[in-house]
Amino acid sequence: MKGKLEPSERQKLIEEGKNLKEGLMTLEEDLIKLRDELQLEAQCIPNMTHPDVPIGGECSSKLRNMVGSRREFDFPIKDHLQIGKELDLFDFDAAAEVSGSKFYYLKNEAVLLEMALVNWTLTEVMKRGFTPLTTPEIVRSSVVEKCGFQPRGENTQVYSIEDSDQCLIGTAEIPVGGIHMDSILSETSLPLKYVAFSHCFRTEAGAAGTATRGLYRVHQFSKVEMFILCRSEDSDMYHEELIKIEEDLFSSLGLHYKTLDMATGDLGAPAYRKIDVEAWMPGLERYGEISSASNCTDYQSRRLGIRYRPSESPLTNSKKGKASLATTKFVHTLNATACAVPRMLVCLLENFQQEDGSVIIPNPLRPFMGGIELISPKSR
Amino acid sequence: MALQCRLSGTTIQSLKMATIPISSSSSRLIFRPLPQSLKLSLFSRHSPPRTPPITLLIRALSAPAVAAAPATEISDNKVVKPQWRAAIDFKWIRDNKEAVAINIKNRNSNANLELVLELYDKMLNLQKEVERFRGERNTVANKMKGKLEPSERQKLIEEGKNLKEGLMTLEEDLIKLRDELQLEAQCIPNMTHPDVPIGGECSSKLRNMVGSRREFDFPIKDHLQIGKELDLFDFDAAAEVSGSKFYYLKNEAVLLEMALVNWTLTEVMKRGFTPLTTPEIVRSSVVEKCGFQPRGENTQVYSIEDSDQCLIGTAEIPVGGIHMDSILSETSLPLKYVAFSHCFRTEAGAAGTATRGLYRVHQFSKVEMFILCRSEDSDMYHEELIKIEEDLFSSLGLHYKTLDMATGDLGAPAYRKIDVEAWMPGLERYGEISSASNCTDYQSRRLGIRYRPSESPLTNSKKGKASLATTKFVHTLNATACAVPRMLVCLLENFQQEDGSVIIPNPLRPFMGGIELISPKSR
Repeated sequence: MKGKLEPSERQKLIEEGKNLKEGLMTLEEDLIKLRDELQLEAQCIPNMTHPDVPIGGECSSKLRNMVGSRREFDFPIKDHLQIGKELDLFDFDAAAEVSGSKFYYLKNEAVLLEMALVNWTLTEVMKRGFTPLTTPEIVRSSVVEKCGFQPRGENTQVYSIEDSDQCLIGTAEIPVGGIHMDSILSETSLPLKYVAFSHCFRTEAGAAGTATRGLYRVHQFSKVEMFILCRSEDSDMYHEELIKIEEDLFSSLGLHYKTLDMATGDLGAPAYRKIDVEAWMPGLERYGEISSASNCTDYQSRRLGIRYRPSESPLTNSKKGKASLATTKFVHTLNATACAVPRMLVCLLENFQQEDGSVIIPNPLRPFMGGIELISPKSR
Repeated sequence: MALQCRLSGTTIQSLKMATIPISSSSSRLIFRPLPQSLKLSLFSRHSPPRTPPITLLIRALSAPAVAAAPATEISDNKVVKPQWRAAIDFKWIRDNKEAVAINIKNRNSNANLELVLELYDKMLNLQKEVERFRGERNTVANKMKGKLEPSERQKLIEEGKNLKEGLMTLEEDLIKLRDELQLEAQCIPNMTHPDVPIGGECSSKLRNMVGSRREFDFPIKDHLQIGKELDLFDFDAAAEVSGSKFYYLKNEAVLLEMALVNWTLTEVMKRGFTPLTTPEIVRSSVVEKCGFQPRGENTQVYSIEDSDQCLIGTAEIPVGGIHMDSILSETSLPLKYVAFSHCFRTEAGAAGTATRGLYRVHQFSKVEMFILCRSEDSDMYHEELIKIEEDLFSSLGLHYKTLDMATGDLGAPAYRKIDVEAWMPGLERYGEISSASNCTDYQSRRLGIRYRPSESPLTNSKKGKASLATTKFVHTLNATACAVPRMLVCLLENFQQEDGSVIIPNPLRPFMGGIELISPKSR
């Protein structure tokens, strides 16, 4: 239309232009809607899976390692609830009145034991180069979603705060994952290794039955969590490192446990591979999960927007400045439980109970609780 | 640490209460129609313009128990029923009304004493009326047992029916009256210790001062700057993840928090306190019974969606709840607890420079002391708690002043409140690091915690019931042993060195692996 035109030609072009403009607007609107729908659908697609992961349901999980053996008792043993009652270590009844079921108070030596477990675990993991953190326990729900959880789904595990877009965390993985949201890290800063202590809150909606007695399944608990951000090529290696740390910790405490490569049916959407440790709980007469270590590869980082810039860009000699931006990659994230206090309390109380009703404290924990070696029945 | 828990009274623009006629007594009832005014107008009210006190639940609704806070009109016959009842001693209030009135004024409380007294009188009269009706109904019933003429019988039947209906109405009115009286009376704040200064915050009285401001021979930094340079906290990342006034602690600050909590628990346990960790999610009724308002405007309390649960702002709440609705033996008292928990506060309404950094945050760790004792012992235990606090803070080498807080600064539950303010050189001010309150029987009357004195004066009485009559309400006290963020501010700002490092006070070192110094490192 910039050129010289006959009036009638011009008129035709103006009409054409107008039609094109309207058509374009409609198409662009459709494109936006389509993109949105595509995004929502595609975000449902779970992470890919490590080739060695067994395919199937929970029973298909593969045994990787077993340490120790079930202790032989020559006296009738008790479960942790009974031990705790007799040693005045918890109160579930008062908590049921004050808060509801699956809440509890810890009392007396159990408080010292929780402190000792947390302190000792933090100290041990720090020795391996992890940066200690405490985290917010209230976070924006968008961060929860970006980590791969569903705050507002049916049977959600997540507590929401009234009149707000905030939720309570179910694990420190969430606030730690959020630290580097929407950032580009330098490759030299990787790996970033954090060990975070927090309280965790879970609704446990949909969980019922005897496997939920006492401390085994509760709404609130203390946990020490490990979290690693690393280069894509290193995540398998760091996964092994995290599993090794867990096994060292549990072996130090003298627990008998098995390490399992969880089958595909048991992986959460973010996990490329998930290794659980189940420890023997003689009072419950079963193995119970005490930790879980997941390699989430780039599932979370694509949502949280965490990238890194490799140090040697293949285009360093290129004259185009834009090239270095194109070479950012998504970090890989991993998370692993170093210590979930209630489950550990179940293990310690049930495994180290004595005939007289007392409980032996494992050596590594003693310095962290004023040297106490034994929790004994007292006349209170 | 005390929250500002002012229970606001309600000025109800109620319609004039109809006077309940007091019938001239006669041994035989001559039936007359009930005054119309009794039935409906007694309890119509326009809801107050501001937030109603405590929880006003409309019981009839089947919706989840969300407290109705907004100023909606409560129509005739819809009863606003309290979800729970404090055991208020109305007679005592009436007999001491001058003292109660002065107290309400001194505390700037909105409680409406006149209304309470009026309702109480009305209730007593209505009770008498109800009893009278009952008596007359029994009389009629007895008469009907004898031999009667059919016409007499018919009259009696009618009389009985009228009495029954009248009685039902009176009893409904009595219930509503009781509910309203209860809600109004629950707004009345606790009485005040005679030594407490009267007035606003500036009238608070200095009880003790320990140490003195450190002289610095180099330019000092506030805790935010110290923390930044030593890589001890991250407020920025937390603002993205959670919002303002949230933070991550990092590196030595994590160890310092652990050490503070561990050391404090250990020290307080040595003094005979039972250590506890507590639920941090509690039913909102428990929050109210402790004297807080979960659903008031500017509430400090976070609520959980689709539930009657809240997050605790202090371990005082779940610890107070342990012995709810119980009768303890006198020999079990005192019960002394030291509880560690995380605390959550909305800090709605708090703004300004006094809220920078760690000074005012939404989430923090706290070690709290809580005592339940006999009524005659609470003043003594209050002194004990204050002494423990002062010992702890002196051990850490802090400079602080202990204040007897004035009436205008007491929350509704507190009979007396002693605050400790420590010198924070970076903020250039004294900042509250602890608060110790004697709540006497305010909380226990709401939580329903009684004790049975060991020697009942009626032990020789043959009546079994007598021992029940002698239960008394415990007194409760609470005091901050360690509020971690405020302590971090104190430690970082007071013990900073010229080279940017921070010295760890001796008592804490064994609890953090022997570390003596937090030094700048190339990270």
